[in-house]
Amino acid sequence: MAWDFGISKEEEAYRQKVADFLDKELTEEISRQSWEDLGLDVEGRAFAKKLYDAGLMGWSWPVEYGGKGLPPTYDFILIDELGKRWGAHVPNDVAYTMVGHTVLRRGSEAMKKEFIPQIIRGEIEFSLGYTEPEAGSDLANMRMTAVEDGDYYVINGQKTFNTESHYAEYHWLAVKTDTKVSAYKGISLFIVDQRSPGITIRPLTTMSGERTNEVFYDEVKVPQNRLVGEKNKGFYYMMEALGSERNYVFVPSRYLPYLNMIVDYAKNTTFKGVPLAENPMVRDKIAQIAVEIDISTLLADHARWMEWNHLPMTCEPEITKVFVSEMEQRMVDSVMQILDQFCQLKEGSKWAPLKGRIEWEFLHSFMTTIGAGTSEVGRTVIAQRGLGLPRG
Amino acid sequence: MDFTYTEEQKMIKKEARRFLEKACPNVEWYLDMDKDEKGFTPELWKGMAELDWMGIMIPEKYGGIGGSFLDLVVLLEEMGYAAVPGPFFSTVVLGGLTVLEAGTDAQKDDLLPKIAEGKCLLTMALTEPGTTCYDPSFIETTAKADGDNYIINGVKLFVPDANVSDVIIAAARTSGVAGDKDGITLFLVDGGTPGIKTTILKTTAGDKLCEVIFDAVKVPKDKILGSLNGAGAVIERVLQYAAVGKCAEMLGGSHKVMKITVAYAKERVQFGKPIGVYQAVQHHCANQKMAIEGSIYITYKAAWLLTNGFPAARIVSSAKSWVSEAYKKVAAIGHQIFGGTGYIVEHPMPIYSRRAKAAEYAYGNANYHRQLIASELGL
Repeated sequence: MAWDFGISKEEEAYRQKVADFLDKELTEEISRQSWEDLGLDVEGRAFAKKLYDAGLMGWSWPVEYGGKGLPPTYDFILIDELGKRWGAHVPNDVAYTMVGHTVLRRGSEAMKKEFIPQIIRGEIEFSLGYTEPEAGSDLANMRMTAVEDGDYYVINGQKTFNTESHYAEYHWLAVKTDTKVSAYKGISLFIVDQRSPGITIRPLTTMSGERTNEVFYDEVKVPQNRLVGEKNKGFYYMMEALGSERNYVFVPSRYLPYLNMIVDYAKNTTFKGVPLAENPMVRDKIAQIAVEIDISTLLADHARWMEWNHLPMTCEPEITKVFVSEMEQRMVDSVMQILDQFCQLKEGSKWAPLKGRIEWEFLHSFMTTIGAGTSEVGRTVIAQRGLGLPRG
Repeated sequence: MDFTYTEEQKMIKKEARRFLEKACPNVEWYLDMDKDEKGFTPELWKGMAELDWMGIMIPEKYGGIGGSFLDLVVLLEEMGYAAVPGPFFSTVVLGGLTVLEAGTDAQKDDLLPKIAEGKCLLTMALTEPGTTCYDPSFIETTAKADGDNYIINGVKLFVPDANVSDVIIAAARTSGVAGDKDGITLFLVDGGTPGIKTTILKTTAGDKLCEVIFDAVKVPKDKILGSLNGAGAVIERVLQYAAVGKCAEMLGGSHKVMKITVAYAKERVQFGKPIGVYQAVQHHCANQKMAIEGSIYITYKAAWLLTNGFPAARIVSSAKSWVSEAYKKVAAIGHQIFGGTGYIVEHPMPIYSRRAKAAEYAYGNANYHRQLIASELGL
């Protein structure tokens, strides 16, 4: 036990293997499907298969379901290396970094056997079905219901901002199974085939052009065996998974491409004959981006380290989430100030610097401090759970 | 990867916390130390020496305990927590580490055992009036060869604890011009040498930053520390240690500020409720926590890199720029939550916020280090 910021030889060997593979196989188009949430199209599916065939998936998953039984460090290396390459994700990101872990923790043996191997092989993706029009930050206020009817549950209601629904095979759905008790005690989780009769998926287009969805359920029948774990424990399962999910979803390496791009730009762009790289204001702003990426990386590493050592996480992943999402906005603003008027030129536009990507990131960055819990909810969590300040 | 202290480091922390709580008893004592011309008490220094603190990084053959830089950082974190005054940092970091890095065997044999015992106080005289923007290579003070001696002339500023130092390590130019990294030489100058005039500068933190005037100060040639004209690299290295050591102090100080702030928010009642119930206050405290979490890991990563001899320049500068601003922010939030009560001179808050300001500017502020980072990035 001693301070140590290195990685083991075995981990480094895996990292190198992943890096070599990605440098060869990961195209910008495939990365784009991840970073713009366009979905798993033909190329993405094919890439998922290649990743698996190259023997790079599932190292951190139990042997009995097709993994290698190694610690989570290997999956973190995988997502970091993907992130460094234009914010790419594991193709079936939601399945691999979120849903799969709860299935492992809480699912029945049959459910694990059915789903985990497919997740490791990158064959199936899930869409998170949590948010509703009346249940945003106050998730427990959801209205959607599932009522037992013989071998089935019958589900009615509406979800919103379910980003992967238009291409994911399954819906990871939270619904009320008991409306008479307090909200926290009456929610259950289901795995629903998104092609089930009675499901309607309608697109919502965000300001940055990503697609998300509204999902409507009208008398949708879901078999009993698709209930995850115990009935009415869903809210607890969701909260239990939250810290880990933040550790996998907020990946600081995804900002490195922007840092590298603006460094190159400053070196290769002059004003009045002087490279921007020599302008103290430009240097200061770029250095601050680098510092904040350093801090983000360490916050993430620390929270992940807690997770793989089974230490009780109170607010550490939340700190990563709040910090990383706000850092993204500061980074975008600094880069735009350096690019000046050119910052507003869209990808594909004549004269667009940085391939127009910072313009896209600007539009995208409004979401980061909102999605997966607002910064305000996050700070309240940090204060109450991390510092023990009283609830109101 | 591991984010834990060793068992020995946990002991160091515990022992330091216990000793310093007694040694630095109350705010009045700190205010006395601000006014005191030495800035610390003999009992405090003696107690620290008895705990072997000055020898923490000095090898056993010189009478030290042979610990690592990480061990020293752990101790400095506790010293920052206690806001302990006195010449420990200047003696151990600026003095001891420089002698360890650059000293001849004879110089080490002479000085290190005395430092370890707490019988020799040191500091380093680097900054000058011309450095209106911090730059450790901007040295105009000259040392001219004169037979077996060098004659040093110049003015040094912000020299910590020069008023009590037995040895002042003076950086002087032996060739080149101000701004050159080459051509600087370090001299071990006896604090009592004729021609040295030391004046304590009145500062925000009441720490003992001094002006030191060298007026034809004669120093024997064998008092050169390291190589003639070659001190640039030594200074750079020592300043990396100093920057990270200062981060550790700031980290400890910010922990203390958050601790008293959160405790106060839980007990202070306004509008019928503890103010810690209100989200405006909770979010302030969350911001303290976030600033500090970042400070912990960047400080220890920098210390780990230095301890292991890995390239550290980029992360050291990241640490100093981040922690300098984080501590300032944590202290400002502390004041905001304590309200009027924290504005009173006898309150602990001003002790910490004044030191946060001093530490921010020690060994390069955030702007300075960001310029270094920019260079590291290839700009």
